[in-house]
Amino acid sequence: MGELLRVTAAIARKDLKVEWRTKTAFVSSLVFAVLVLAVLYFARDKTSVGDYDLAPGALWVTFTFAGMLGLNRAFLLERENRALDGLRLTPTTPTALFLGKVVGNLVFLGVVELVSLPLFILFYDVPIWRQLPVLLGVVALATVGYVAVGTLLSAMVVRTRFSEVMLPVLLLPFLVPPIVSAVQLTWRILALRPLSEMTGWLSLLAAFDVIFFTLSLLLFEAILVE
Amino acid sequence: MDVVPGEALMLVGGNGAGKTTLLRLMAGLLKPNRGTIHYSGAVGMVAHHTMMYDALTARENLTFFGRLHGLPRDGRVDRLIDLLGLTHARDQRIATYSRGMLQRLAIARALLHEPDVLLLDEPLTGLDDAASHTVLDVIDELKRRGAALVIASHQLVELIGAVARVGYMVAGRLAALEPIAGLDAGGVVSRYRELVAGDG
Repeated sequence: MGELLRVTAAIARKDLKVEWRTKTAFVSSLVFAVLVLAVLYFARDKTSVGDYDLAPGALWVTFTFAGMLGLNRAFLLERENRALDGLRLTPTTPTALFLGKVVGNLVFLGVVELVSLPLFILFYDVPIWRQLPVLLGVVALATVGYVAVGTLLSAMVVRTRFSEVMLPVLLLPFLVPPIVSAVQLTWRILALRPLSEMTGWLSLLAAFDVIFFTLSLLLFEAILVE
Repeated sequence: MDVVPGEALMLVGGNGAGKTTLLRLMAGLLKPNRGTIHYSGAVGMVAHHTMMYDALTARENLTFFGRLHGLPRDGRVDRLIDLLGLTHARDQRIATYSRGMLQRLAIARALLHEPDVLLLDEPLTGLDDAASHTVLDVIDELKRRGAALVIASHQLVELIGAVARVGYMVAGRLAALEPIAGLDAGGVVSRYRELVAGDG
C-alpha cells in the first residue's frame, strides 16, 4: 500500500511539475473559463433569463470544457518522447499509474475550478458565501467521477491521430449523469432549497463516482497494452 | 534465440527488418502474437526516443524514474550523470539538449536500476567519439557484471568488438544466429547479404 501511494504521488507530482513549468493547459483552461463565463453572461436577455436560471448551467459548462483541455494534456505528455514506454519499463503497476494521473488531473482541475469560482460569483452576482462549503462538496463529488472517466478515455485516445477531437466525442456522453446532477444540485444550492430536495441527485452523483471510478481503474490496464 | 548472462548479442538487418520490434517485444512493450519470451531479473532499454520529459531537467527525469523503480536516494543519479558526461547540463531542461546529450541521458535512464537484461536500439546514434567510448566501456562493465545485452545497430565497426554473436534479421525473421568467429564488420555485412539473397 505504501509503495502504491509513493508511486502514485511521484507520478502526480511529475505531471504537476511539468504543467507548472509549461503552463500550457492551465493558461488555456483559464482563458477558456473566463471567455465562457463572460460570453454566456453577456449573450443572455436579462429581462427573460434570471441570474439563478443561467448560473448553474454556465458554471458546469465552464468546468466541463475547461477540464477537457487538461485531460487532453494528461496523456499527450506521455506520448512526447514515448515517455509512456519509459513508465512501462519500470515496475509501476497500471493501478499506480492510473491513480497518479487521476490525482494530477484532480489537482489541476481543482485549481482551475477554484480560480473560476470567484469569476462566476462576480459575473452572476450570486451570494453563495453561506452555501459555499456545500457547493464545493458538490463540485468535488462531480469532479472525481469526471476525472476518473476522463483519465481512462484520455489514455485510450492518446494513440489516435485526432486525440484532441476524440476525447470530447467519447467523454461527453458519459458526463451526462454527473453534469446534469451537478447542475440540478447547484441550482438548488443557489435557491437555498432544503437538503431533502437534493438527496436523489446526490445519490446519483455518488453512485456514478463509485461505479465509474471502479470501472476506469479495472479497464486501465487493458488500455495500456499496445 | 537465447542470451546468457555476461553475453552481448548484436542484431543486424536493414531498415524494417524487425530489429526494433523484436527489442520492444523483449522489453514487454509489445505483446507477441505467438511464442514466448523468458528472462530473469530487471530489464532496461535504450530506444530511438528518450522516454523522458522535455520540461524536466536531467536530474529530475532520472530521479523520477528512480522513484518508480523504488531505488534509494544514494547518489546514483549524479554518478550516472557524471559517468555519461552530462554534469554541466544536469539542471537544464532536456528540451535544450542536443541529440547526443539526449542519447547519453537515455542510456543513464536505462542503467539506473542496474538491469540484468539491457536492450540497446542504436545506442551510439548521435554520439561523438568520446561518448561512444564511454558507452562501449559501460557495455564491457555490464558484461563483466553478468548482464545479458541485446544490441540492434547499423554501427558494426564500433560495436563488433563488444559482441560474441550476431543475429541476422531478414524481413521480420531471425534468419541466422551465429558466433562472430573472427568476422570483421565487412564479413558480417557479406554474411547478411548472403542471407538476404537466400531469403529472396
